[in-house]
Amino acid sequence: MSLANRMALASPQVRAVCVEANEFPHLSAQFRVRGVPHTVINRRSAFVGALPERDFVAAVLEGAGVLVEEPHEAPSGPSTEIT
Amino acid sequence: MAVIPEPVRQQLKDRFDTVLSGPVHLTLYTRPGSSRLILPAGVGCATCEDARQMAELLRDAAPEKVTLDLIDITRDPARATADEIYDVPTIAVGQNSEAPRIRFRGLPTGTEFPALIDAVERVSRMEHGLSEESVAALAKLTEPAEVMVFATPT
Repeated sequence: MSLANRMALASPQVRAVCVEANEFPHLSAQFRVRGVPHTVINRRSAFVGALPERDFVAAVLEGAGVLVEEPHEAPSGPSTEIT
Repeated sequence: MAVIPEPVRQQLKDRFDTVLSGPVHLTLYTRPGSSRLILPAGVGCATCEDARQMAELLRDAAPEKVTLDLIDITRDPARATADEIYDVPTIAVGQNSEAPRIRFRGLPTGTEFPALIDAVERVSRMEHGLSEESVAALAKLTEPAEVMVFATPT
């Protein structure tokens, strides 16, 4: 979550929200949280686990619909679309 | 309830004395509490009192640099709507009160507490610490991006 906060400091377009998963079960259910950290970007894509900075930024760009030049694969599994 | 024990409180004061350089504004959005009762979503707030104590301890650790606004969203629903606050407690961290983009939804204990301290310090120093490559990549964002990170106390 520190990386998300740092991105919010670096870009005026980013808002970082750290959510206490147990306190808001409706949100955890809505975004299918099964493990933490569980990161959701623009409420439509998600990944589980901690990523290196470069991969985290790439995942945020992908989730925001920005074309990423290099393909990115999260070590803990590919990001998933939330339907 | 003492959310943060005295030794940690003192450590925080000592750390903030040396690390903070600029202003930090905390905004805590709450609803009148209901002690420890677990109530349906939208009714009461079991952790708002603890969150208030935590926010006040952060402010009191460096009162010359850290300011705090307490917003009761039942008394000021327009503010909650304007700031897009959907759940309480929410602690927002910024340099001023204008719609801070770093938020902690729920009581930030466990792994979230160090992240809150880190956010206060980084905002104070305006120091994101990301690589130039990451900053250049984030500059490609032309629309707002919300990054929600779910965590648990343990």
